[in-house]
Amino acid sequence: MKKSHYIYKSTKLIRVLLEYTERTTTQDSIINSITITGDFFIYPEESLNELEASLIGMRLEKNTVRQRVQQWLSGSQVFGFDSESLTKAIMGCLNNAETKI
Amino acid sequence: MLRPKFNEIRLLKTGHHNGYWNMALDEVLMKSVSNNAADTPTLRLYGWFPTAVSIGYFQSMDQEIDVENCKNTGVDLVRRMTGGGAVLHESELTYSFITRKYPKNILESYKMICDPIIICLVNLGFNKVRFAPLNDVVVEGKKVSGNAQTRKDGILLQHGTILLNVDPEKMFTVLNVPKEKIRDKLIDNVKERVMGVNRTFDEVSAALEKAFCMKFADKVLVDNITTQEISDSHKLIKEKYGTYDWNWRR
Repeated sequence: MKKSHYIYKSTKLIRVLLEYTERTTTQDSIINSITITGDFFIYPEESLNELEASLIGMRLEKNTVRQRVQQWLSGSQVFGFDSESLTKAIMGCLNNAETKI
Repeated sequence: MLRPKFNEIRLLKTGHHNGYWNMALDEVLMKSVSNNAADTPTLRLYGWFPTAVSIGYFQSMDQEIDVENCKNTGVDLVRRMTGGGAVLHESELTYSFITRKYPKNILESYKMICDPIIICLVNLGFNKVRFAPLNDVVVEGKKVSGNAQTRKDGILLQHGTILLNVDPEKMFTVLNVPKEKIRDKLIDNVKERVMGVNRTFDEVSAALEKAFCMKFADKVLVDNITTQEISDSHKLIKEKYGTYDWNWRR
């Protein structure tokens, strides 16, 4: 399992802390845990927990992540980033792994 | 845009308190407005002592803040129930406005509650004062006021600051900034983008009270917090704002 931290500057700053299982020849990387932090605004606030929970167990693959983020955004109001920038922030972790755990 | 007009506003001038108390009381006042059958909104004017840093609801304390330095210099650390960025609360007036009647559109509601801040600044003699979406008020392009809001059970709370004086050097001793070189650049950047109004707390407080009244109500009911609100705030400090679980939850 790998641990990664990536910072992406959208209108506001997005920080993603990610733990994921590495890709194998037969399977994409899988998200084991994710924490999204930053100086953005989300209404209702609690919905970010729901997004994080729903990403666990999901493939760390751009289209899969983007689709999930877009689905979440349709039920929340966000100021400070859009689906594209949050997807980039999450996928950025893939090339920024810090530690193997 | 919906512009609610109220018969009166409940005004609380609660003085300078620590960050835990300030955030707890704001939340308790949401409950009070919720329990108020007459739809009377509350305007609270307050300050911070000792100096504190509040972080936004979605921020990480350890990532954003130089916790060790804050502990060593007696700066309190507290998480807000509202989003947005980290704020050093030292030389400023803070307000909270809590209401049951507000525009459901988030941008419109920010604009509505920032209007009295603009009126206040104009009355203090500033020109080129404008709302800078989503949540700032700027004077000649420089940020003077930052604001944040939350909505719970049909009640809106917006709190925000009017900067009296700005100390960018101090600001960057409490924030986690990776490199010295970047720190200098960021300090210069803050000096270019942020300014204080250079008036006293009492002057700005009086101007803001007048502006809210002009905007929203015919009269102001100057009030004190109740014993129930005091006791609920103490409870909320113990259970939430004073706890590691809340302040380090991200």
